[in-house]
Amino acid sequence: MSRLRVLLPLIIAASYAAGCAPRTAYLWGDYDSALYAHYANPQDSERYLERLGRIVQKAEVEKDKVPPGLYAEYGYALFEAGRLDEAVTYYRKEREQWEESSVFMEKMIRNTQRLKENRPGPAPGGELPPPAGIPPGAAAAGEAK
Amino acid sequence: MNRRGLLLPLLGFLILSVGCAAAPPKKDYTVFRAANPRSILVIPVVNNTTNVEAPGLFLSTLSIPVAERGYYVFPVNMVKRVLEDEGLSDPNLVHGADTARLCNLFGADAVLYVSIEAWTAQYMVITTQVTVEFDYVMKDGKTGDTIWKEHKRVVYAPQQQNGGGSPLASLVAAAVQAAITKAAPNYMPLARQANAEVINTPGVGLPAGPHNKEYGKPSDSWK
Repeated sequence: MSRLRVLLPLIIAASYAAGCAPRTAYLWGDYDSALYAHYANPQDSERYLERLGRIVQKAEVEKDKVPPGLYAEYGYALFEAGRLDEAVTYYRKEREQWEESSVFMEKMIRNTQRLKENRPGPAPGGELPPPAGIPPGAAAAGEAK
Repeated sequence: MNRRGLLLPLLGFLILSVGCAAAPPKKDYTVFRAANPRSILVIPVVNNTTNVEAPGLFLSTLSIPVAERGYYVFPVNMVKRVLEDEGLSDPNLVHGADTARLCNLFGADAVLYVSIEAWTAQYMVITTQVTVEFDYVMKDGKTGDTIWKEHKRVVYAPQQQNGGGSPLASLVAAAVQAAITKAAPNYMPLARQANAEVINTPGVGLPAGPHNKEYGKPSDSWK
């Protein structure tokens, strides 16, 4: 049993080295380590966004190798950075690539657009102040469902 | 007489090794096949250990093996954050929520519930033994029934390799290894190994999903 425990990883390692292990269907890059670095240090969201962006860029070279959920994950990181238009772009990409995501993505697109309408002041970094006359709580209402 | 003396232990060894390698009993996949999920919602994991970093670390290892098996996997971090916005920031609450309701929220076919049962490093004199243990349950979004489940415990203790090198050399090697592990026990390879074994082992793992070339084929040996 202990022999098996020693041998098995060795065999796996050897078969990887020999190139006969099945390659991954998708180009994941360092998706998993980007995720756990983000969990370990949630304040470092800029770095997380940047890492995801790079993974997307590399995976997109081969269209059918973009992993499920990657566009959406990147879109959400953009959303959290206040880049709402770009977020919607990536939600749409996810929906196009994966029909399974359409219910979720449509909800997110709708929510993001509603949020934008209710808060026409551009995302952080924009110069326009929010126009007067927005009913109080409108933004909050946009966030629900 | 002499030959038999040689053969018997050999035979014994053969039987033993066959016993070791014997595949675990095959699962019944009838319910799974009936549910036939295309998309899987991986929700935040429940942590039954005292290690506070374990849930985040482990959650990040789940998407890849499930997606590679041929399923659409919802973006785990985004799902986690959306659930938090819905008032479900405690994984225990998410796990307690109605499966159908969860699936409706995301348009998912099935939910993967995972809990961490062990995530420990036990420090010994010159080595460190690292243990991880997980519970995996998949439920159908329409019926709420369990369509697949598995349990996994993986233990890793750096082995002292005595073959070849001097005893002193291997002692030093083990000490170095222990120092590395002690500074930052690395659970990730073990967690990945546990997932890979659970998901990919024929007869117990997940059948190939719709995005896998093996989907529905006889070559997908464990349907």
